Amino acid sequence: MAMENADAYLEVDNLVKYFGDDKAVDGISFGIPKGAFLTLLGPSGCGKTTTLMSIAGLHSIDGGRIRVGATVFTSPQEGLFLPPEKRDIGMVFQSYAIWPHMTVAQNVAYPLEIRDWARPDIDDRVADVLKLVGLTDWADSLATNLSGGQQQRASLARAIVSNPSLLLFDEPLSNLDLKLREHMRVELKRIQNEVGITSIYVTHDQSEALVMSDEIIVMSKGKIEQRGGPVEIYSRPVNEYVSNFIGVANLMKAKVLEVSEPGIGKVEVAQDGQSVQLPCRLGPGIEAGNDAVLSVRPENVHAVSEDGAGTVTGECTNAIFLGSYVDCRVKWGDFEWKVIAHPRNHPRTGEKVHLRFDAEHTLAVQP
Amino acid sequence: MTTETLSPTLRRSRLNNRLRSMVTQENIITAVVALIVAGAVIVPLAVLFVSSFRVLDPLGWDTVWGFGNYVEMFTDRIIPKAFLNTLIISSGATILATFLGVSLAWINARTNCPGRDYLEPYNLIPFFLSPFVGAIAWHNLGEPQTGLLNNWVRDLLGIDGAIINVDNIWGVIWVTGIFFAPLVYLFVVGSLRRMDPSLEDSARTTGAGLVRTTMTVTLPLVMPGILSGAIIVFVTSAGEFGVPFKLSAPYGWETLTTQIFSKAVGDDANHYLGAAMSMALGIITVLLIWVQQRYIAPRSFTTVTGKGFRPNVLDLGPWKWVAFSYNLMFIAVAVVLPIICLLIVSLHPVWTGSIVWTDITFINYVKTLFWWRPDAISAATNGIINSLILSFGGASIAMVMALVISYMIHRTKGFGVRMLDFLSVVPIGFPGIVLAMGVLVTYIQTPIYATLWILMLAYITRFFPYGQRNISSIMLAISEELDQSSRMAGASWFTTLRRITIPLLKPGLFAGWILLFIIFLRELSISIILFTTGTETLSVGVYYLTNFENEPLTAALSMAQTVMLLIAIYAFRRFAGREALTA
Repeated sequence: MAMENADAYLEVDNLVKYFGDDKAVDGISFGIPKGAFLTLLGPSGCGKTTTLMSIAGLHSIDGGRIRVGATVFTSPQEGLFLPPEKRDIGMVFQSYAIWPHMTVAQNVAYPLEIRDWARPDIDDRVADVLKLVGLTDWADSLATNLSGGQQQRASLARAIVSNPSLLLFDEPLSNLDLKLREHMRVELKRIQNEVGITSIYVTHDQSEALVMSDEIIVMSKGKIEQRGGPVEIYSRPVNEYVSNFIGVANLMKAKVLEVSEPGIGKVEVAQDGQSVQLPCRLGPGIEAGNDAVLSVRPENVHAVSEDGAGTVTGECTNAIFLGSYVDCRVKWGDFEWKVIAHPRNHPRTGEKVHLRFDAEHTLAVQP
Repeated sequence: MTTETLSPTLRRSRLNNRLRSMVTQENIITAVVALIVAGAVIVPLAVLFVSSFRVLDPLGWDTVWGFGNYVEMFTDRIIPKAFLNTLIISSGATILATFLGVSLAWINARTNCPGRDYLEPYNLIPFFLSPFVGAIAWHNLGEPQTGLLNNWVRDLLGIDGAIINVDNIWGVIWVTGIFFAPLVYLFVVGSLRRMDPSLEDSARTTGAGLVRTTMTVTLPLVMPGILSGAIIVFVTSAGEFGVPFKLSAPYGWETLTTQIFSKAVGDDANHYLGAAMSMALGIITVLLIWVQQRYIAPRSFTTVTGKGFRPNVLDLGPWKWVAFSYNLMFIAVAVVLPIICLLIVSLHPVWTGSIVWTDITFINYVKTLFWWRPDAISAATNGIINSLILSFGGASIAMVMALVISYMIHRTKGFGVRMLDFLSVVPIGFPGIVLAMGVLVTYIQTPIYATLWILMLAYITRFFPYGQRNISSIMLAISEELDQSSRMAGASWFTTLRRITIPLLKPGLFAGWILLFIIFLRELSISIILFTTGTETLSVGVYYLTNFENEPLTAALSMAQTVMLLIAIYAFRRFAGREALTA
């Protein structure tokens, strides 16, 4: 297990951190290659920020080992703890943490002053970085006069100015309003691409994670639930938790009837006396006879007019027109299906509706 | 992970690593400070406790262990009465100060009383001045024969006798009450200002009148603040030495503090009996402060909803002029009259009770201030120099300590932090005179006794919590991420402290420094226990003059102290916020 990520640039091995008696991080391990952008995603309290702070060295850890390149950052077993200032990390905080008693340029210059750069070099580098983040005109204003988005940019400039070996983001966009958040996502990604620093990004916002990351780790209760690329996480969640946390899904108890070939099989779902058998993909660890959870995204459920095998018949209880699509609810026994329909051809409220499922995008996963 | 057997060398190197990782700048500094603070706070109190069980034999040569001192406190001719007098004075002063403080705060925060923005700073001035000097001033205003007020009334109305006499227990209550009224004011005015006016408005819509609304809604809402203020006033009055020493003790009303003083120095000194009395006083005050901190202070803001209300004040109609006059009267009796009286008295060679224009002289100032002159009184001139040294040095050292302690409490973790949090509340529970007795019995046989160092040590131990609270309130308001981002930028703990934390804390550091400077400049009840010839302080100088010289000389040095304090108050108002006061 310890060797699994040995060739990775950043390696977190069996990390354990307690707060009092609570296990905030419960033995997680992962590694990422140089230059990658990894997101730790999960609800508050899942251990993602604790993991980030452990990498930063802003608190000690109770077990495991953290290494970047050839440098071991923390390893309580070996009695090693590198203080945060020795780790060569750039970090963007949730509150931006722009020092209010300095100008923007002074904020950005600080890491270089600490590293004893010559003044002319500092000035050149600060000007370059401020240009990169689009704050050239604000160099001499006090940090407190900046808007939220500008503070964010200043904070990023300060994090990357010394060209650190690792860049950490602690929910950096959560204090911005929606419009700005969407804009800054793209900006952050552009700048990270440009500087190419290995980055770890912590967020509870799934769309942020999907937009920005090369890879996502979904966490819950101090453990890793799933790791994968954005498309994989969205379309092939491994369990009910991930499929519920990422995007919207119809989730329903199901019984696995058969496994026809590896990863493909048939499940039965029942509701109110009706039952239906659906061909589907099987998540890891699903075998014939298992209790599983059926997971179908609303866009993979189709309202059709004719009945047939593998369809479900229900009544449309609500159809909300949302411009490019119609958000429908179809009642089947006690269960309410979420269905996305085309605006030119969608069920009306009160109509009887037949639902058909794409076998390719219907999943049976672990509860 | 595989289990592995460690070679002895590897094991040793791991142990070394672990030790080395604990020996950081941060850990060393914080550990040293925790030890110093624990030593400064706990040792004198522990020694005081132990000493209170040492009973001096009749010859005064030797001691035996026992409860004799505590027994004597009940059987002595004077001490039980002193106990009772302390209770009466503290209760009376608390009632008066609470009434004055709450009514003035209400007028300033909730009514349309004219000029209230200008009145507030003056309402707070007595908080910074010396109550001892206030007692001296009121003695010269309200003494039956030579009191200025009594003489003015005699001249004006052509009557005999005196209309007031402050040289008794009522005078002590009067002076203590008006000087401590700002304490209650500060505890109440904030919540009154932040109070949601709709709470009062809804009471008015049910048909309750102005008076009824104020009594049934407004005051109950700020009750935690009122109670906190009242307890602090009670405790501070019980520990006050100067006022009863000047106004009541010479006329037969001893208090616990004047009795402790007589056991600490003088002919019938008995440090062990003094220690027992200090324990008795300290237990009462510590219990009250504990109740206040534990149960009352946490409730202070829960009744009052948040932020951003338009200032909505009550229209008093023509009564606003009554409120205005009432406030002016307070400022007159607490600030203006005492200062004018001191000035008048200080300009006479001898004081007979009325102004003699032909006798006006500056000789009293020359004798008390000009240390290079042969006729200078050394107790006074020493006092000025010593107090300035103690105030500058003490405030500076205390703020450095307060900074490190606040930093530890709010920015580091570990078992020492809880202890420090506790240690920085403990001194608030003990009156200065109690702590000073502890310091006296602890250090009397060490070389620091009879130096300024023992005074500095006691000052800092007793008052550093005030500076610490000033810093803590700001430290709580600034995000820890500001420090962390500096560490991430590659700066060490110390560089972060120097370049980020301290610059951000500057307002709190400055406010705390001036507050301590003011407190140290007027300090009496610690100094009076610990001074010796040569280490007199300003207030001890005043004590010396009033005891062994005459009133005009006393008034001159009192004026000098008051002017110095007023300058410091101005600096405080100018550079520090109102919030800094509520510590």
